[in-house]
Parts: sequence; C-alpha cells; structure tokens
Amino acid sequence: MFMNSNLFEPGKSKPERSFVQLAVKQNQRFDGRRSNECRDVELTFGADWGTVAVSMGDTKVLTHVTCDMGAPATSRPNEGKLQLNVNLGGVAFLDEVQTTHDQRSLTLNSLLERTFRSSRSVDLESLCVAAEQHVWCIRVDVNVLNHDGNLYDASTIATLAALMHFRRPDVTFTDDELRIYTEKEREFIPLLFLHYPVSVTYCIYKSSGQPIVDPTLLEENAADSVIVLSFNSYQELCSLNAGGTAPTNVRTIMQCARNAATRCKSLVDFVRKALLLDEERRLQGGRLVNGLVALIGNTQHKLSFNKLMSCQKQEPQPAPTEKMELDNESSEKPEVEEIEVKEEPSKQETGDAPMDSSGWLPQDEDSQELSIPSDASTSKAGKGKQNRSKNKANKKPQQKKQTDHSDSEEEARQYI
Amino acid sequence: MSTTSTIVMPGERIAAIEELAKSKRVILGPGLRRLDDTVVASKAGPLRHKEPGTFWVDNYQRRYIPARGDLVLGIVRAKAGDLYRVDIGAADTASISYLAFEAATKKNRPDLNPGDLIYARVLNASADIEPELVCVNSVGKRGKLGVLAEGFFFKCSLNLGRMLLRENCPVLGALTRELPYEIAVGVNGRIWLKAHSLKETVALANAISALEQSGCAEIDKICGNLGDFLQT
Repeated sequence: MFMNSNLFEPGKSKPERSFVQLAVKQNQRFDGRRSNECRDVELTFGADWGTVAVSMGDTKVLTHVTCDMGAPATSRPNEGKLQLNVNLGGVAFLDEVQTTHDQRSLTLNSLLERTFRSSRSVDLESLCVAAEQHVWCIRVDVNVLNHDGNLYDASTIATLAALMHFRRPDVTFTDDELRIYTEKEREFIPLLFLHYPVSVTYCIYKSSGQPIVDPTLLEENAADSVIVLSFNSYQELCSLNAGGTAPTNVRTIMQCARNAATRCKSLVDFVRKALLLDEERRLQGGRLVNGLVALIGNTQHKLSFNKLMSCQKQEPQPAPTEKMELDNESSEKPEVEEIEVKEEPSKQETGDAPMDSSGWLPQDEDSQELSIPSDASTSKAGKGKQNRSKNKANKKPQQKKQTDHSDSEEEARQYI
Repeated sequence: MSTTSTIVMPGERIAAIEELAKSKRVILGPGLRRLDDTVVASKAGPLRHKEPGTFWVDNYQRRYIPARGDLVLGIVRAKAGDLYRVDIGAADTASISYLAFEAATKKNRPDLNPGDLIYARVLNASADIEPELVCVNSVGKRGKLGVLAEGFFFKCSLNLGRMLLRENCPVLGALTRELPYEIAVGVNGRIWLKAHSLKETVALANAISALEQSGCAEIDKICGNLGDFLQT
C-alpha cells in the first residue's frame, strides 16, 4: 500500500502518519472539528436540469445528468438504464502512477454503483417507453474537481442531488413513432425514486477506538481503515464498504452505522430543502447560475447544509416528536426481546455513545441493522427490499410530488 | 528589492531590461530568458527587481526545479543498492548515497526506510541527470541536516517556502514571540514543524498554511491570531 502510492498527496510520509495517529489519540483534528463533526456541505444548482456542484471544504465535485433514448438490455426489457461515470481528471495531479488513478476511480465507481444502481434507488421501470424497444438511458457524469478527502460522500451527495434535480422530457410512443416533447410543449418530468441513498465515511485508526467522520485527505491517507456506509432516508443500509488493517469490532461499526443513518437522513432532508429553494428561485424567474465558473465560484447561489438545517431546527418540527412518542410506545416490547437477542455491548452503546442522537431510531430497524455487518459488504438488505416494494406500492398512486411530510408519514405508518 | 509589480506573461518581451542592459550589467533570474538581443519572460507573475541589476519573475509554482545548494525536504521512497531514492517534489526522484550521512561507512549504514523524512542539500542538479542529495557539509558534519523524526510535515507552494526563508521575513520572528518551536523549511515547498505539544504544532501549521492565501500586510494579523488557532 505504501510503495505504490505516490508521494504528492499528504499523509504518505512517516512523520505525517504518526502525527495523525497521535492527534486522533488525543481527539484533535487539524481543522478544529470534533471527531463526529462533518464539514459543511454546499450545493449549487446549475441552469440546466441535473447540474449540481457540491463542495465539502476543499473537496469539489460537479455532477451532470443527461438522458437519451436507447434500447434496453435484453435481460431487463422493461427497464431504463442508469449509467454512472466517474471522471477523476481534475485530480490527475495526485496520481503519479496509473495504478493509483485506476484504483481511486474504481473504488468511487463501485461505491456509486452499489449505492444507486444495485440498491435500485431510481425507479428504472418508469423510464421504459416501449418494452424491448425504447427506454430512457440516464447518464450521470461525476467530475471530481478537487480532492481534499471524502470524495465518497461528496460524489454520492452530488449524484443524488443531480438525479433529484434532473427532469427528463415527456415522450409518447404511438404507431411506432416516438415523439419527444420539448420543454415548451410539455413540462419536463422528474425521475421517480424508490428511496434516497447517500453515504457517510468514517476513518479508523489503530491508536484510537474513536472513528472520525468526514476525513480530509491527510486523515484519509493516514487512516488504517476507511468505512463507507450508504443509508437511505428510511435508514436502511444500502452498501457497506469496510477495508483496511485496523481491527474493528462490531460495536464500532454499529456506532458508525447508527450515526451514519441519522446523518444520511438529514443530508437527504437538506437536499430536498435545497431543491425546493432552487425551484422557488426558478419560479420567481430569478437569475440562474450562468456557466461553469459561476457554478463553482458563485457564492450567491450556494446552499449550505449548516445554514439550511440550522434554520430548520428552529422551526417547530412536529413530525419527529410525534414519531418518537410512537416509537416509545411501540418499541417497548421489542426492546425487551432485544436484550435477550443482542450482545450486551451494543446495548450499552446506546447509552454511552455521546454522539448518538439516534435514540429515536426505531428499534425494530436497529435489530435489522444489527444483522447486517455479519453478512458484510454485499448485503443488499433483503428485508429492506420488502419494505421498499411496500413503499413503492404506497407511492405509485400518489405518483410524483413527494414531499418531506408525506415521506415521514409513510415511514411512521410502517412502524406502527 | 523594489515593490513595483508589473505583471509579465510568458513570451512577453521586456524592453525595460533591454534598455538597462545597454548601459550596465544585468542578471536575469528565474522566469526570464535571453533570446539573442531580447529579454523574454518565460513564466507568468510579477516582475521583481533588485539593485543594481538583478531581475526575476516571482511566479506561483508548486513543482520544484532542483538547483545546486538548495536545502530541501524529501521523503525516502526506496532503497536501491547503495542509494536511496528520495522524492523532493521535482519531476525526477533524487538520489542520496548511504555514504552521504555523518559517520556513515560501508559497514555502518544509516537506517533509513521508505516514508522517512530527510532534510538534505542538493549536491548537483542538471536537467539531464537525476539530482543528487547529501546530508553532510564539506567537512563531513551533519549540521542541521539529516533525518527528521516526529513533528508534523506539510506541503505548500514554493513561494511560501521562499518567503519564509527570506532574511527579512517577519513571519517566523512573529511566531517565535508566541511559542517556541523547531522548523525546517525546504525551498521545494515543504515544511516540517515541531512544537512542545501537538496542539501547538497544529496551530503553527495552520497559521503558516494560512499565509499562503494572504499578502504581506496580513502576516502580523495572522501571527497575532495564533492564540485563536490554539484555542480551536
């Protein structure tokens, strides 16, 4: 790992590594964050549908979604296609050796594939125009502009935001004639989602048991292992990528998973909120972001996670409190059962983990999650699938316009 | 050094120097090139002038170009026979013989491993052969050179490294007033730092990297703010 990696990026020399280990041990980070604190996420929507720039600190990712008519795969004749492309050209300066470049882009690509495609987050069946003949091919281009650690989260957030922002033209297929309408003729249609996944990254060091979230490039390179967890807004696990050499116990992973689940939920809420604001801006006919430079550099249109979510907290939020009560009632019984099933450490953990604000995390969900680390990275959350198909059934009559509220209602209903 | 800053672009002909060259001797520094009777800039940046007749272009750069006598920080990449390959941020890796350390003999080799950080002097540098480093001076003493253990190491632009090394640079003095520390600055844009505690080292590193984006006027402010960096 050490020799074939290049020395241009930080965290490759011994002093750096031992210093980071020491810093983590003393619970210090270079930018003054706490170990469970994330950098601010900033979203900028471009003038085109499906163009989003995301920045987390100095990490910058630009994502663009395009669509095209094409023929479906023979194995899935009634499903559209979703293609995820990663372009690391912007950080080519980091890759002295071809192998590191390949490795980096492969990891990122497989994370995106697992998070969005294998977990079937986009309803591909709705992209079918005529079975076996015409389907929509959605192509997501993820351009990495700058890399300062945690490319994973930045690109999943960017991909999710871009897909949610994207609108495809309406199309009709009659008498073997395909007709695609322009935006003037018929309004564009947003994509349908079955669930909304994003990822959260943790770094684990041998010197300390405490994982740190949202690592910078230095922290990431000096880490002994990196764990990337993707959760959707229903707090179901979509993918888990744990590698490296640091010994990690179930407890640490569970702690990460719990925190990641809440973080993912708030990230999705943030993206939704940002989309609403963007829509408002469009309706008002406000000035859109012009051109790439403005998209990356413009501070005026930036939607910051910290700002948006902090003002949301001030608003009275009936939904979560309601749910909490519901959960408390409903979960009382399962909790007793769980004490018998679960090992003790995970029980303690709910008590002592200081950063664990997920006390309201539904308990039955917990037990579901607990089984996940055991069947490791390929886990596709089989039980989640049932839930999801249920969601799908619920959603179908409502069709689009899925607001935050209806979502949480649905979620609550399942747990009762 | 004059502070007039005319920005020159690569390929731009600089008539002022040509005029001066007619009457007296002129020295062209980095970023300037003589083509027959004309002086042409080869890099973009502000044109600097030092009395009596030295000119250079102070361009922003991160890729180091080795020059004889430079003090650099390098990371050992590999052992290769009786050489160590060292990454100094140049286009090519540099080499250092295991005999180029204090008190090293054929029997008594220095113990260097990949990833170790060394402070060394460039012995020879030419465009066509790989640069060679030494960790001793002409009488075989190590002086300040050698392996740097512990501490923190980070990279910056070449300009920042050069600025810190300038004799009249107020930065290091201002920082010394706040806390004691050890520092090694390489002209290849690499800085090694060590203070008493980890917190202080982080604060110093952040303060120095903050200088990257700031002008000379803000130096005092940033150094004065070191207390703020420490608290965070």
